[in-house]
Amino acid sequence: MLENLLTILILLPILGALGTVAYGLLPSRRESHYRWIALLFSLATFALSLLLVNGAGTGDASAGFRFEQNVSWIGEIGARYHLGVDGISLWLVLLTTLIMPIAIVSSWHAVEKRGIAFYAFLLLLEAAMIGVFVALDLLIFYLFFEASLVPMFFLIGIWGGQNRRYAAIKFFIYTALGSLLMLVGIIALYFIYGSFDYTIILAQMREGRTLGGTTEYWLFLAFAIAFLVKTPVFPFHTWLPDAHTEAPTAGSVILAGVLLKMGTYGLLRFNFALFPTASRYFAPLMITLAIIGIIYGALVAMVQPDVKRLVAYSSVSHMGFVVLGLFSFTDQGMQGALYQMLNHGVSTGALFLFVGMIYERRHTRMISDFGGLGHSMPLFSALFVFASLSSIGLPLLNGFVGEFLIMLGMWNSTSVQYPWMATMLAATGVIWAAVYMLWMLQRVVFGPLTHNKNAHLSDLNSRELGLLVPLLVLMVVMGVYPRPFLERARASVETVRARIVAPQGEGGSFTVQAQRELEHLPEKR
Amino acid sequence: MNFHLALQTVPSIINPDINFALIAPELIISVVAVVVMMVDAFTRRADQRWVTGGISLLGLGAAAATVVWLWTGGAGATQSAFNGMVVLDKMRLSFTLIFLLISALTILISMIWIEWERLPAGEFHSLLLFATVGMMLMASGGDLVILFLGLELLSIATYVMAGFRRTDLRSNESSMKYFILGSFSSAFLLYGIALVYGATATDRGVPGTTNIREIAERLDTAVYPQLLFVGAAMLMIGFGFKVATAPFHVWTPDVYEGAPTPVTAFMAAGPKAAGFASFMRVFIFGFPFVATAASTGALAHTAWLNALVVLTILTMTVGNVVALVQSNVKRMLAYSSIAHAGYAMVGFVAAGATPDEAQRNEAIAAVIFYMLTYAVMNLGAFTVVTMIARNNDRRTAIEDYNGIGFEAPTLAFALSLFLLSMVGVPLTGGFMGKIMVFRSALNQGYVVLVVIGVLNTAVSVYYYLRLIVAMFFRERTTLWSAPRLSASIAVALAITIFGVLYLGVFPGQVLDALRTTRPTISQLINR
Repeated sequence: MLENLLTILILLPILGALGTVAYGLLPSRRESHYRWIALLFSLATFALSLLLVNGAGTGDASAGFRFEQNVSWIGEIGARYHLGVDGISLWLVLLTTLIMPIAIVSSWHAVEKRGIAFYAFLLLLEAAMIGVFVALDLLIFYLFFEASLVPMFFLIGIWGGQNRRYAAIKFFIYTALGSLLMLVGIIALYFIYGSFDYTIILAQMREGRTLGGTTEYWLFLAFAIAFLVKTPVFPFHTWLPDAHTEAPTAGSVILAGVLLKMGTYGLLRFNFALFPTASRYFAPLMITLAIIGIIYGALVAMVQPDVKRLVAYSSVSHMGFVVLGLFSFTDQGMQGALYQMLNHGVSTGALFLFVGMIYERRHTRMISDFGGLGHSMPLFSALFVFASLSSIGLPLLNGFVGEFLIMLGMWNSTSVQYPWMATMLAATGVIWAAVYMLWMLQRVVFGPLTHNKNAHLSDLNSRELGLLVPLLVLMVVMGVYPRPFLERARASVETVRARIVAPQGEGGSFTVQAQRELEHLPEKR
Repeated sequence: MNFHLALQTVPSIINPDINFALIAPELIISVVAVVVMMVDAFTRRADQRWVTGGISLLGLGAAAATVVWLWTGGAGATQSAFNGMVVLDKMRLSFTLIFLLISALTILISMIWIEWERLPAGEFHSLLLFATVGMMLMASGGDLVILFLGLELLSIATYVMAGFRRTDLRSNESSMKYFILGSFSSAFLLYGIALVYGATATDRGVPGTTNIREIAERLDTAVYPQLLFVGAAMLMIGFGFKVATAPFHVWTPDVYEGAPTPVTAFMAAGPKAAGFASFMRVFIFGFPFVATAASTGALAHTAWLNALVVLTILTMTVGNVVALVQSNVKRMLAYSSIAHAGYAMVGFVAAGATPDEAQRNEAIAAVIFYMLTYAVMNLGAFTVVTMIARNNDRRTAIEDYNGIGFEAPTLAFALSLFLLSMVGVPLTGGFMGKIMVFRSALNQGYVVLVVIGVLNTAVSVYYYLRLIVAMFFRERTTLWSAPRLSASIAVALAITIFGVLYLGVFPGQVLDALRTTRPTISQLINR
């Protein structure tokens, strides 16, 4: 079974979706049972995914893929069903399988209509997301990448808020347009290397069959645009606030928690490894965009009257940090970026849960409708503040570790001319984050009760507490003891980094300096 | 006197090599069509639907069985018969199978419509079968005359089918428009054939030819090369009309909108695929790639290929952009069918451009695969549209789909699947189809063409999603009850849903079969 574990992880949620639908066809069905079926399947998936931890990328420097499955899918066009997990994807898969049961429990009472379809779409989404992170064949990757759009589109469109139709269509068109160009890039790679298989293409590149200059730049852009839209990086981010705000709570949690990471994961896995020269060439541009995203996202978040929209714009800012860390091309920066992906999934996911909880009680998300919630909902308020602090990056909580590593890496980076300036600009983002989050907390949680309706809100019930606890615990654990996470990812991240900082057969001042840095690495460890 | 001259120059009258095995599928369908007409006259009105429909389905099945028999080498090594009038290759056979599938599905879809409208079932079925024979001849002809014959047989039957609801003005208008514009295009085609015939006469006094293989051989010795170019251009217009390429597409929306929905379903899938079968055969093998750059053949090849690239870009763009603003579902699907013809032409361009036989076969296989997936998803979509429209085609506006998503979940989710497949979302047939055609075009270096195709796909997302949005994300304002699914509709839906998913997830086997689509003509003309 272990050798098929990844396939099982993908199939189990699909099976759950089918099970939900099949149960819906029974004459004796009960609306309240759908969520139990979905929860059961998502928990089983989570439990199984824990098995990955033992095998994948443990301690040593082996960055290879574990749990590999490699069979022919469409022999005619050389597409293979090739899955595998390494230190990078391991954590993202676990994040997915962890967030999913939480998302399901969070919609326990929120989803009143059409439960079958809701839970079926959630589970299908889970399958697609797991698939994205474990696919090693470019065509399979694209397939899951696109397939994840459809369930999300329905989730936003059917169960979303006021403006859901606009948000759903915008979400679909933006991301589809980006990824379609990637498809052209994938096919082009196929004709250059005769395979869709990531590992085979990479092996050929390592042997010296590198891409030519312009081709590489174009292919880099074809891939990068898909991922930048997904992440989203500054000029491509406009779909995100709409989608986040209109999506149901579970949708927002998954969107922030996992879907956005598909973009940065793609950059790390495919853009860096496959197009190292172009990655270096475009790094200054990407870093600029990331910094604009960090500051712009934070500033716009500050003035949002809607809590959910505020959290959505804070995502733009946080994901900017991830992109910044990735393009620093330093050990700390890239590891920090990966860590920040997980942090953002946990913290922002939790924040969306909190927003969903007050929305369920008051049916409004406007900051001005709240005030002094601390009086009526003390437990809620305490935990909300806790999660917000984690998102701001308070030391000893998870956000700090990621952002600190990213900025450390950026400072040492050689990918731009004045890395200290980039770092300092990015660092202001942390200050802005404190400003917008604390100001929001002040207006929502602290102070006197301003609205009578808020006086008698019920505090968290055990279900809500239960679904928050895992995330809150993770915030502390990841903040205090990041080593196990970083250690498992190190070798894999290092492999990708080695592609960029030491491309074979190419000289230049950059490489010399990077080479020097590489030689120092073992001591650092 | 001319006749006398001709007799003198032709060495001797060749005995036609009659081989009925080669045209067995066509024969079966023709016979069944006549039988259906006869049986219809002796059946009670209430039973006509099932009896004639059943016989037609059986006939289609039998023809499919013969095709499979021919595919597996049942007719031996023969590659053509009737003096090259009919060819036997897997390109023809795979197209024929697609036609048979389209007809069978059309019969299933139209079953309930015939009942609603109280139409004469036998007539409809036999017309459909004759149209099918026409399509099959368009795929099997190795001679321009046979292609024209098939095209006319198909066209006349479809003219009547489009106007089958005599009492409905829309149907009449549709039929009339189709007839007038269709005959106009047939005239172009025929004139083109005549000019090519004239041009391929050689100076030794040998008369011209309409045989595609011989045309290819005589390109360089043609006495009147200018005629050849004009003739080829006219052929292109004629076929372009059938396939509905921009700018020869203007008839499509009106005709598709006015024709009864099941007939529209047939017209969007069948004649289009048949048009591609002839279009590709004539141009790829009649005016093939020639290595020597200065020859007439090479000039002709470059000319038509460039023209086709322009047509392809126009077709994709016009189809998708105009579809954006449609408010009628049938009209929207009509423009979408234009767009899909454009995507398929991307593969056609690739097939025409390459001198390499294996790559050409692959590109042709890509187009055939695309036509297959398009047929399946298109017929599936029209099945749902038929059911929603109800009798008299009442509900075909996009607003009529508002909020039906959870009222009729089976229909709505099925339609969503077909629409997503048309968008080209992975795990559906449409995705694999697009991959295949874009892939073969990239292989020939048509990067710009592929990028335009991809951008068009992105545009198309909007109008396909619009229908899904209407079904699921809007609320129903008027009273509406879900239509009951009849058995035939259920079977049609099951086949199409299965088809879309199968072609999307496990396309390997089909692609494998199609890859062996070695048009025999190509082997003969590789000089």
